[in-house]
Amino acid sequence: MFKKVDISIDFLGIHLDSPFILSAAPPTDELEMAERGLEEGWAGVILKTTSVEGNPVDLKNPMMSSFGPMSRKVVGLGNIDLISHHHIDVVEERVKYLKKKFPNKMIAASIMGASKEDWQTLVWRLKKAQVDLIECSFSCPQGSMGEEPGKMLAQSIEATEKVTRWVKEAADTTPVLIKITPQVTDIVEVAKAVKRGGADGITASNTIPSLTGVDIYTFEPYPTLFGEGAYSGLSGPAIKPITLRTIAEIARNVDIVISGNGGAFNWRDAVEFMAVGASNVQFCTLPMHYGFRTIRDLRSGLEHYLKEMGFASPMEIIGRALKNIKNQEDLVKPETRSEINYDKCIGCGLCYAACNDGGHMAISWDSELRKPTVNEDKCTGCAMCMQVCPVDAIRMKEKLDSKVHYFAERR
Amino acid sequence: MERKLDQTQALIEAERCLYCYDAPCEKACPAHVPVPEFIQSIRSGNLKGARELISLANPSIEVCGEVCPEEQFCQSVCTRTKIDTPIKIRELHKFVTDNVKLKDLELDLPPLNGRKVAIIGGGPAGLACARELRRFGVKSVIFEKKELGGIPVQEISKERLSDEISRSEAKQILELFNAEVRDKKITSINELHGEFDAVFISTGLTEELELDVKGVNLQNVYTARKLLKTIKSGMKTGLGKRVGVIGGGNVAVEVAAALKREDPSRDVEVVYRRGLKELRAFRDEIEEALELGVAFQFLAIPLEIKGTEKVEGLLCRRARLGETDSSGRRTFEEVPNSDFFIPFDTIVIAIGQKPSDIFSELEKTNNGLIKTNEDLETSMKGVFAGGDIVRGASTIVESVADGKKAAQSILKYLEGGKNV
Ligand SMILES: Cc1cc2nc3c(=O)[nH]c(=O)nc-3n(C[C@H](O)[C@H](O)[C@H](O)COP(=O)(O)O)c2cc1C
Ligand code: SF4
Ligand code: SF4
Ligand code: SF4
Repeated sequence: MFKKVDISIDFLGIHLDSPFILSAAPPTDELEMAERGLEEGWAGVILKTTSVEGNPVDLKNPMMSSFGPMSRKVVGLGNIDLISHHHIDVVEERVKYLKKKFPNKMIAASIMGASKEDWQTLVWRLKKAQVDLIECSFSCPQGSMGEEPGKMLAQSIEATEKVTRWVKEAADTTPVLIKITPQVTDIVEVAKAVKRGGADGITASNTIPSLTGVDIYTFEPYPTLFGEGAYSGLSGPAIKPITLRTIAEIARNVDIVISGNGGAFNWRDAVEFMAVGASNVQFCTLPMHYGFRTIRDLRSGLEHYLKEMGFASPMEIIGRALKNIKNQEDLVKPETRSEINYDKCIGCGLCYAACNDGGHMAISWDSELRKPTVNEDKCTGCAMCMQVCPVDAIRMKEKLDSKVHYFAERR
Repeated sequence: MERKLDQTQALIEAERCLYCYDAPCEKACPAHVPVPEFIQSIRSGNLKGARELISLANPSIEVCGEVCPEEQFCQSVCTRTKIDTPIKIRELHKFVTDNVKLKDLELDLPPLNGRKVAIIGGGPAGLACARELRRFGVKSVIFEKKELGGIPVQEISKERLSDEISRSEAKQILELFNAEVRDKKITSINELHGEFDAVFISTGLTEELELDVKGVNLQNVYTARKLLKTIKSGMKTGLGKRVGVIGGGNVAVEVAAALKREDPSRDVEVVYRRGLKELRAFRDEIEEALELGVAFQFLAIPLEIKGTEKVEGLLCRRARLGETDSSGRRTFEEVPNSDFFIPFDTIVIAIGQKPSDIFSELEKTNNGLIKTNEDLETSMKGVFAGGDIVRGASTIVESVADGKKAAQSILKYLEGGKNV
């Protein structure tokens, strides 16, 4: 009944009916789930990382743990999942089946190997199955090539370049994405290695090594398997700022296609990923939490956003924010002061507490009137008060060369 | 009663929603508004998307956002009640419709396919049916003698539902979904012969039930819905200082509140045979009436309206509650030798409505309502009916649901039994 907007994009020569795809993870680990996801409206799937038949996959359950305020349990999701227990023989068949059933969707697979033969075998077999794209997981903890056990492949510049080359050699014209980890000293070096290795793009990025929690009464780490635990990969909203920076940093320094992944939880997050350089966005924790139905708001939200902005295609978003990202030393130096909107202020006193004990003691508090007042002489404009105001009654007035600008975060 | 959520409140409220799977709220909504999904769209700041979702499901969502008895439907089953309090679903509807208007969205309708359906009665059911039909390329002609919009426009008091909202919503449906209105009273299907492919009857309940006691013909005895219409149209009722309202439903409570509002110095008393728990009115309306100072005389059976020319008062007999009947409410029984007199100068009768005695060619129920099957088809092929004329007095959202359902049945009928 309502007019739909075309939100399709071209990604490495593949037509996607939206920028939103399901990343290599549990939602794509069973054929029926991948099918349901596509039917529900996701633009494509990357089947959960598979390996050669000889590679034992030793899964341990329970494998999930989460953290967040009690009212919203999953702000960050931790997992000790490995790759899929389905080997390439199963995945090959799935790719063929899905390709036939969904000719207009992107059917991709993710792989991981321990040797050159493994990697190239996986690629050849997927190519034969007519996969649209191959993603390589260089960021699973068990992804070492035997040289440095426990270390992720993408933590080594040399290994990254070498393995990328093997894969691309076998893949030939089939697009290859290398999925990296943000857990490195210099993400730019890794991205450069991926590029030198010949990959078509980079997936930034995987889960982040973490320890989701420790039971303070038993001292068991989460998730707990008979009292013991391991580090887990963190995903979900908690890692969005890290991913955003990872994508931006790669986009600013290396000319390579980026698939954004890690912490996107709604269409706004996706737009942000694209604004700093991602060409599409992958989702995992969102559908894991609320189901495949989440695609509907992702699509509709993006559609209305494009209309409102007057953009003809989501591709117009890609990289739009990059020009505004600078190094700290290159930023201008405005004169900034906090400004309180008393029509909105509910008199909670949080800004006072924050400024008094964490800012520059520039806010005074009238406890009779329950009213904060900013002392312009003392205020440096750090914006701490603005962060804590529960009703967004505070904004920052920035002045530069007599030009005034108001800084207010739109959430 | 101000119940408008601002941006911050709406977001906090939306955040409380659990986004239930197979959501009970959605099932309990007669129009099946996809509650968790539209709330998720509020959370993601996609208000236009939220508006699309709720408008698609419920053509009269602006009106429902104001007056839907949500405690009876969606909110009554909200999973969140198992933690604390239900999500304010209706208020979130209102937040969305206040912020995004239907005209802010671009419609995409298929071309008309030449089929034409007659809709008799332009209330929520008729409008919903017209809109739903147009979505599938079928044109409708609405026959309406009074103002388009039905009860929300004509009778619900301005305090509960602003004119602007009820009128504009009806108008928008008409304009955007280009139905046609004809100012003609149809009393028999025969009158439509030749021009239409199917018919939907949604005339509602037009007649008021009469009280069978002595004195109903005295001056100063009025019927409730006529008064509501008068009040709604902005005219003064000019009624007296001591008004008795006989009845125990929404209309009785509504008219009592309206009369009190019109003149706060006036004594208004609702006289009802059963108790507070049996009162068939929405809770927030009862509360509102109480706040306005409306008095309730429970367990009072009207026996006779006393007076010579004008009303002087009401003779009643005391009742007490008896067994629980099939509707789950307690019945009442008379208390012998308990007659009492309440002085009134005006009596308003609000004991319910009945259908008018038209469409004699169709099969009816004992109460004179039109009989339909599951698909809302009447005893005559190609003639469908829904809303109060089929259900008896019900709610706007139920009428909307009927209108949608009838449209689907009509489409199926027009396709020769194919599902659409
Ligand atoms: C339980 C679980 C299993 C995962 N398994 C894989 C995997 O086999 N291969 C892979 O490349 N990424 C895997 N991931 C990572 C996701 O594909 C995704 O990169 C990550 O969850 C971050 O995105 P998100 O915040 O949208 O969830 C897994 C994530 C989770 C939560
Ligand atoms: S989410 Fe489903 S599969 Fe997973 S533990 Fe719970 S019940 Fe089992
Ligand atoms: S934090 Fe915001 S609402 Fe609270 S006192 Fe300060 S300005 Fe007012
Ligand atoms: S039942 Fe309540 S909590 Fe669950 S989806 Fe509906 S409104 Fe939200």
